[in-house]
Amino acid sequence: MANSFNNLKKMYQYNAEDSNFLVERVDQFEKQLKRHLAGELDDAKFRSLRLRNGLYMELHAHMLRVAIPYGTLSSPQLRSLANVADKYDRGFGHFTTRQNIQFNWIELPEIANLLRDLSDEGLHAIQTSGKATRNITADPLSGLTEGEIEDARPYCELIRRWFNLHPEFSWLPGKFKIAINGAKLDETALRIHDLGLRLIRNSQGQLGFSVFVGGGLGAAAMIAAETASFIEVEDILSYLESTMRVYNLKGRRDHQKKLRIKFLVRELGAEEFSRLVDEDWQQTKNDSKLKLNLVELEQLKKDFSLPIKQIDLGSFEEKVDFNYSIWKKNNVRSHKINGFSIVNISLTKLGAAPGDATSEQMRILADLAEKYSVGELRTTKRQTIVFPYVRKDQIFNLWQSLEKYGLASPHQGTLAQIVACPGRDYCDLAKAVSIPIATRVQERFNDMKKLLDIGDLNINISGCENSCAHHHVADIGLLGMQKNGEEYYQITLAGETLHQTVIGKKLGPSVSGENIVDAVETVVNVYLEHRQNQERFTDVFKRIGITPFKEKVYE
Amino acid sequence: MSEILQIESILNKDYESVNLVSFQEWVENIDKLSKLSVGVIIGPSDDVSLIKGHLDFIALIALDFNNFDDGRGYSQAYLLSKRWQFSGEIIGINAHLDQLQFMIRSGVTSYILLDSYIGLNEEDYANGFSICYQEAANNSGLQQKY
Repeated sequence: MANSFNNLKKMYQYNAEDSNFLVERVDQFEKQLKRHLAGELDDAKFRSLRLRNGLYMELHAHMLRVAIPYGTLSSPQLRSLANVADKYDRGFGHFTTRQNIQFNWIELPEIANLLRDLSDEGLHAIQTSGKATRNITADPLSGLTEGEIEDARPYCELIRRWFNLHPEFSWLPGKFKIAINGAKLDETALRIHDLGLRLIRNSQGQLGFSVFVGGGLGAAAMIAAETASFIEVEDILSYLESTMRVYNLKGRRDHQKKLRIKFLVRELGAEEFSRLVDEDWQQTKNDSKLKLNLVELEQLKKDFSLPIKQIDLGSFEEKVDFNYSIWKKNNVRSHKINGFSIVNISLTKLGAAPGDATSEQMRILADLAEKYSVGELRTTKRQTIVFPYVRKDQIFNLWQSLEKYGLASPHQGTLAQIVACPGRDYCDLAKAVSIPIATRVQERFNDMKKLLDIGDLNINISGCENSCAHHHVADIGLLGMQKNGEEYYQITLAGETLHQTVIGKKLGPSVSGENIVDAVETVVNVYLEHRQNQERFTDVFKRIGITPFKEKVYE
Repeated sequence: MSEILQIESILNKDYESVNLVSFQEWVENIDKLSKLSVGVIIGPSDDVSLIKGHLDFIALIALDFNNFDDGRGYSQAYLLSKRWQFSGEIIGINAHLDQLQFMIRSGVTSYILLDSYIGLNEEDYANGFSICYQEAANNSGLQQKY
């Protein structure tokens, strides 16, 4: 197929030293595993070590979480994940909300071979779990959208490296999640992270970061506080180290539910926390060895530069097809490079856990990405796959292929694309089911005309307070709970992260599983009744308040 | 040795025996103890900044790494060795084999492993990697990539 891709440009790849490091890490873990299996390393210590290699022990098998750094994958990497799914799992993988993929049926003795297979493609599971810096997430549309300050990925890569087996910060009080955004809209939800970095320019045009610390969901949802309004790019590593040092030394270690940095920030107050960080930082900010390597940064900017150039498509005519036009409206976004579009692909299937993909689907997506998107894919917090570089005159062909493989439901991008955790059907922690509720909501809203009228409205369903489905930051959030042995759902409304970060407001008493779909429909109807022009759900909520929703749901 | 309480004195690198006191004892009796050239045992919850001004009078410091998941010792080692330039030995006591690389790079200058690790190859765990990705108190032997 003729295309205008610059075929000489390859995606950023680890060099020989990095690859060797991955192998050394596997060798080390293999030795620890052998000692554990021989009874020479106790469960508690092995737990700490295996988590830092992404390995969880579930009731019947082991789950491995593999990092997808900054959410960017190449086609060969996705095929390698498909091979792992076939060779070591049951032919499935699960794309998470934080740019990772999980395999649920891993046999312990095979783990080292699995990790070696992954390292061949520069993939790893280092620090995807445990009380250390987790995979650093980036805007999945990095580099693609108009008005972006800068592509966040080179910064993600340099910060990821710095905190990779960091000697001082590998045994923190709790897990430490970082997100970096360089775009206008926040697709990373950075202020619900332990630490969020926003790329900005100051009044002199200098590039730097605003730093936000102490966000998180769970039983105590908190929005991260701004601890620094502008840190110059080359000072970011020392500032992050100071933040982590204060956390490492002063964070709560005495209470299992207060381990995260948000509790320290809350207890000290954001101002005092920032002061302590600043006090520490004054000792190190001028240390030349802690400066971000600007030469390496420039190299990475080249490595991550877009592999496409603008093209003039002349007078190509878009195909006329009803299903195609609906799908396109909901799933294709404009690209900053002329002639190209960004295409979103949902893996959500009625009645299945969102984010699940079969090895066959992974291979199909890898092939299609090679054909239509320069062999690159991105993963998002809505558990979808993005093709970042699709020529406008090839979107129809791509859609036809996606249709053929059942990957182009027109429901994508509507209310019917629900984010749900595995819930009580699959998870020991859950208090209530999630996926069956998602299915019932989808069945209730099965009229395409109405779905299109409602537009992009997010419904997220978590089966317990751990909030894996991020229900606090959805337009309509449902939290599963138990009341007298029955499943109930607490409704929160008008949470968001894209334009600003808002934790949803509780509507009122929780609603039984039997009545919850009626309640969701009522909320949607109140929205439609009060909506003016093309107002978003959150805008209507801000304008009319919670009362009209409350009155209708509990009448 | 498996119990911190069993340590009453410790050998330094010159194989001279140094008497140890707890952090609490040191802080409460600085005037008296600073004349005696003793070593100080620091636990994870001890506020190491309290002895910052007295480091010249301390013969050696023993950081207790007994709790595998408590990472405060690594920051304490960094502050003592790199920031405050403590010139004496920093001994990691009750150390775990799998954490040697983190201890040494954070500034611990020698260590005493817990008994349960006797017989295992320490070299394997102290030097597991050929490169490192960050500045630290001690990166010797590692190719620095940052």
